Amino acid sequence: MTEPFLSIRDLRKAFGSFVAVHDVTIDIPKGQFLTFLGPSGSGKSTTLYAIAGFQHPTSGDVLLEGRSLLPVPSHKRNIGMVFQRYTLFQHLTVAENVAFPLRVRRRPDAEVNRKVAEMLSLVRLESFGGRYPGALSGGQQQRVALARALAYDPPILLMDEPLSALDKKLREEIQAEIRRIHRETGVTILYVTHDQDEALHLSDRIALFRDGRIEQIGSGEDLYLRPASEFVASFIGNSNFLPAEHLETVRGSATIRLADGTVVSGVRNDREFSHGQKTRLMVRPEAFRLRPGTATAGLAVEFIDTAFFGERRRVIARTAAGQEIDVRPTSDMAQAQEGIAVRGQQIFFDPAAAFLFPA
Amino acid sequence: MSGNLLHRQPILRRPDGVGGALPALTLITLFFVVPVVALLLRSVTEPVPGLQNYATLFGDGTYARVFLNTFLVATVVTAVTVIVAFPVAWMLAIMPPALGSIVFGIIILSMWTNLLTRTYAWMVLLQRTGVINRTLMDIGLISQPLPLINNLTGVTIGMVYIMLPFMILPLVGTLRAIDPMTLRAAALCGASPFDAFRRILLPLSLPGIAAGGLMVFVMSLGYFVTPTLLGGTSNMMLAAMIAQMIQSLLNWGLGSAAAFILLLVTMALYALQLRLVGAKRMTGGI
Repeated sequence: MTEPFLSIRDLRKAFGSFVAVHDVTIDIPKGQFLTFLGPSGSGKSTTLYAIAGFQHPTSGDVLLEGRSLLPVPSHKRNIGMVFQRYTLFQHLTVAENVAFPLRVRRRPDAEVNRKVAEMLSLVRLESFGGRYPGALSGGQQQRVALARALAYDPPILLMDEPLSALDKKLREEIQAEIRRIHRETGVTILYVTHDQDEALHLSDRIALFRDGRIEQIGSGEDLYLRPASEFVASFIGNSNFLPAEHLETVRGSATIRLADGTVVSGVRNDREFSHGQKTRLMVRPEAFRLRPGTATAGLAVEFIDTAFFGERRRVIARTAAGQEIDVRPTSDMAQAQEGIAVRGQQIFFDPAAAFLFPA
Repeated sequence: MSGNLLHRQPILRRPDGVGGALPALTLITLFFVVPVVALLLRSVTEPVPGLQNYATLFGDGTYARVFLNTFLVATVVTAVTVIVAFPVAWMLAIMPPALGSIVFGIIILSMWTNLLTRTYAWMVLLQRTGVINRTLMDIGLISQPLPLINNLTGVTIGMVYIMLPFMILPLVGTLRAIDPMTLRAAALCGASPFDAFRRILLPLSLPGIAAGGLMVFVMSLGYFVTPTLLGGTSNMMLAAMIAQMIQSLLNWGLGSAAAFILLLVTMALYALQLRLVGAKRMTGGI
């Protein structure tokens, strides 16, 4: 078996009696863009800091190409990092900031100058070399930080919520830059964020953290379409959870009864539930339809509110049991119009696109 | 709503023009400008009108030596103070706030203790049969007492001790403003702790070093008690010389001239620093 490029083995970090990271294990192939996603305090930053060498893990190991990084001090790990806060050296110009890692490595001037020019063009700040960080916008500062982190061709680039201080429009712009830079350099990136959209947009693979453990690891599609738990389902994308009683499961296809008595069969399920067990049925807002299609289950609802968002329409409906549900039918105009017309009627969903979780 | 707010009269109006600054200006004129002008006048009129006092000060080798010694002491004291204060300030800057305020309290407390008391305490510690020399001889590190008092060493030790708070306080302010993440970033860039200190921490703390350094240097130039008690007669400083001229020799003209030179040098240094560091950064405005 080939050695994984970067390997996190049973990493554990405890602060007194509080365990921030519980035995996390991940193998990361070379060139992958892996995102640690999770709410604050879920252990994602602590894991990243252990790789950077800012925090010494209680137990476990971090291996780069089979060699442990733990005995290596931060400044010898040869890892690039972009931080949440602006950490440019304020007394140095943009070019000197990018040159810094090469200067401390005592590289010859010609090489430093060539590399600085190359990096500034990579982040599209060619004409900013002579400016001081104080004269740059937040977005530009983070791009310089990116250039500085990549200047010495590190095998791994760590990014700790680098866009959290920026506004939405700028965030999207720099996300596109980061994707392009990942494509062009092929560097392995470990990216920490609490923003699911950012994670889905950027990553090859996402590790979703919860309370110091990895809840699920996989592609964005895996997490969205095949959530391993209710937590994953509710963290990635929007979800409606309807109380349901499990009746039976035959070959991964469950039959359930909803609170209003509607019996739905054909729900995908690979868990063991007993007859009559309380469960929760998860349906994505966009899985609802306003018209019955093939193999769809109907749900009696009352339409409460509808709002138009251009690409899609959002409808709030209330079930007979009194639960409000979020419906986002794809914005087929005829359907949307119809949605308003059919007040007090039914909405439909494909049971195969719904999931059953323990209550 | 907002229109109302705009039209409302501000409760506290800033006084316009020179009129508002009049009380302060009067005070400064009365207690600062007038005495300085009087000092200047004395230096060029006593005993007879002319620049002979300045000519004496610059021409006579004894006086020139006192000037030189004063600058030497002030320079050494400033340099040593910076070296000692930096680690203390850094520790204070990164300490948990609760512990930091205790250490701060101890430093401030030393400032409030009587200057003479502290200087005499150093005399006891530094003399030939003092605690330091006895301890060093007892553990066999030296066989003869070190000359720690009545020389430059004694003056430096005593003055650095007194000047430390004036260096530590501005330095802590500057160091606290540096995001510790900046140093982590430097480490990941490959900077060894020494490189990070030399290339990042030191340049970033320069405004604090300059502010504290100027304060210490200027205070040292005019210091009287400590150099007189801990220094020898051979390395007299300017303040002691001025005191001697006026008190013992009753030569007001010469004493005033020396005092005026000291004032000029101080102001020139301040102007130089404003140019180098920038007035904004000095006052902490960055």
